[in-house]
Amino acid sequence: MNLVTSMILRRMRKPFIILITVYSISILGLSLIPGVDDQGNPWKMSFFHAFYYVSFTATTIGFGEIPYALNDAQRLWVISTIYFTVISWLYAIGKILTLVQDETFREAVTRTRFKKSVNNLHEPFYLICGLGETGHEVVSALTEEHYRAVVIEKNKNNMNELKLNELREYVPCITADASDPAQLELAGIKHRLCKGVIAVTSDDQTNLKIAITSKLLHPNIKVACRSELKDYEENMLSFDTDHVVNPYETFAETFAMLIHSPSLHLIFDWLTGAPNTRLTEPLYFRYGHWILCSYGRFGKQLYEKLIEHDIKTTVIEPDPDVVKEFKQQYAEQADDIILGTGIDAKTLNKANVKDSAGIIAGSDNDSNNLSIIMTARAINSDLFVVARQNIYTNSDLYTATKSNLIMRPREIIARMFRALFLNPLLVDYLELALKESEKDIEWPNIVISRLSAVLGEMKPHIWTVNINKEQAPAIMKGLEFGRNINLGHLTQDPASRTRKLHCVPLLYCKANEKISMPEDDTKVEAGDTIMFCGTREVMKSMFWTLKVMSSLNYVMTFKNEPESYVWRLLHRHFFRVERRKTRRRKHS
Amino acid sequence: MNLEKVLFSFFMILALTLNFGFFIGAVDNPDHHNVYELYAVIIVNLIATVMKFGDRSQLGAMLLATSLVAVVQLLSAALVWTVAVHIQETGLTPSVMATIVSLSGGAMLANIISVILLMIEAAMLRH
Repeated sequence: MNLVTSMILRRMRKPFIILITVYSISILGLSLIPGVDDQGNPWKMSFFHAFYYVSFTATTIGFGEIPYALNDAQRLWVISTIYFTVISWLYAIGKILTLVQDETFREAVTRTRFKKSVNNLHEPFYLICGLGETGHEVVSALTEEHYRAVVIEKNKNNMNELKLNELREYVPCITADASDPAQLELAGIKHRLCKGVIAVTSDDQTNLKIAITSKLLHPNIKVACRSELKDYEENMLSFDTDHVVNPYETFAETFAMLIHSPSLHLIFDWLTGAPNTRLTEPLYFRYGHWILCSYGRFGKQLYEKLIEHDIKTTVIEPDPDVVKEFKQQYAEQADDIILGTGIDAKTLNKANVKDSAGIIAGSDNDSNNLSIIMTARAINSDLFVVARQNIYTNSDLYTATKSNLIMRPREIIARMFRALFLNPLLVDYLELALKESEKDIEWPNIVISRLSAVLGEMKPHIWTVNINKEQAPAIMKGLEFGRNINLGHLTQDPASRTRKLHCVPLLYCKANEKISMPEDDTKVEAGDTIMFCGTREVMKSMFWTLKVMSSLNYVMTFKNEPESYVWRLLHRHFFRVERRKTRRRKHS
Repeated sequence: MNLEKVLFSFFMILALTLNFGFFIGAVDNPDHHNVYELYAVIIVNLIATVMKFGDRSQLGAMLLATSLVAVVQLLSAALVWTVAVHIQETGLTPSVMATIVSLSGGAMLANIISVILLMIEAAMLRH
């Protein structure tokens, strides 16, 4: 018996017993009191009639004196019957109502419902711990692609069910502490269809605990964590956590991309951004003297990247201990650090803000960062501003500063998780892009021009095609027949012979090589994986070619072949000659 | 002494004794079987059943099941009685009476099992 029914039954014991007692006394009384029938003969109500009578009086329906008019003795008994039965009904109903409003009962109901909906999941799903902005971003990205998700969140206020109801798939959610293994188990961590755990709570300690729990309870699951502190990150990686995303590190890497090539940064931004948001304009990094305010975990990462690219940087740091540490670490650049917060014009002038190219407002205090930006802009309006935003609700303020680049931890984590879980190849592609652009500075520009040619104004949709029986049954069949299928066939519009699909193949993975931007004549073989970038509609058109034999035939031969049995027979009969010809051509 | 246990045992055993009282006698003779006794068995059995509601122990579940069986048997006996007397108006013929009594006999078997379970529980408690 589940908890909810047993709770109801236990609470209803007393009301039920009272009801039974009152009913039984009333019925017994009615059946014992002598009365007369319509002809004046002595008559006693049978149990059947007495039960009927009490039933309709107790529920205040009151059909009247049935089957015969009552005498006064019976009426006296009925008066007490009415009051006692009605009161005991009210008592019973009142008990149910208090039970329904009871906090523990409600929790039991939600938990039971949650458990049921998790157990009823028959598709692969991901378990998301923490429904902050990041968690929500990840959940909507997954459900958008029709993956199922289960959410566990500690804070009741974050649990915006209305917001969850807007998603494309039903997402079971529960308010519970994700660091408790029992709660994770309730949320289906041991479920055979649980494909991955995404730990994106705001607390590193909790994320670590979730990662350990998942690896112990369901070892072959994919676990991805958010981590902001280096120690935790290393700890997580030490027991095979599949992915750890540190927003500061990731941002520093994209910042390095920006320094290296604006197009490379744009590739990252376009490909990892949320689909259906506007394409961003390219950002042009300004070379020259830079100012970095606050040398914390964010500042350290950026400083490394800046000096890697030989950009002269002055650091402004309010903590004397950190200044000392910096001077020890970078003995050559010891003069490049100034003690101060950077919120006043004096320290900024000392750092020579007037002739600087850019400034990074990187403290962990939003008011200070905003103040730094305002003060610096007042002195030098041409500055390239990089701002670090800490608290989500300050988004509008940061947008109003018109900073060139705003670092929002949640957004960066959501980007990375979207890539990691929806298109793992994207991570490989970005690494490859970095390598390619180091070899050839023009490479990112070529990619961007190819992407712009097929994309409209919106960020692209990215999808991965595995050439296997499930995802591409038509192709597999074609390959079995020995047909030569190449990439050009896949990117051909299956509805029109004159049109190519508006998509770019980004990466082609064969058994042991990865080709970026493969050519149309790349031969398709079983087991290959291809990542495309385009719009969702284009993806759907491509699925026709992958899954439906006649569509595949059309893109290969531009002929509509009959599908029904009779037509196929006729067709075969009439076109036998032509078929032979083509076969001979293939052999020769 | 646990009042809940006393009450429950009281109702359980009372159900069995009343049931026995109703059951005993010639199986097809209406004079040997009193309608008020049947009524009392039904009420006492209902109360005993409700008292086991929401008991999550294994023995509690067993007791609930046996009481439910008894209640179902007794209610069908009452239904047969009602149909015979009020709806078909055949009266308590020997065959009708035999049906009613044998149904109540089944209920008595369930009640006996309940009491045995009750005794097992008591015996287990002593150890």
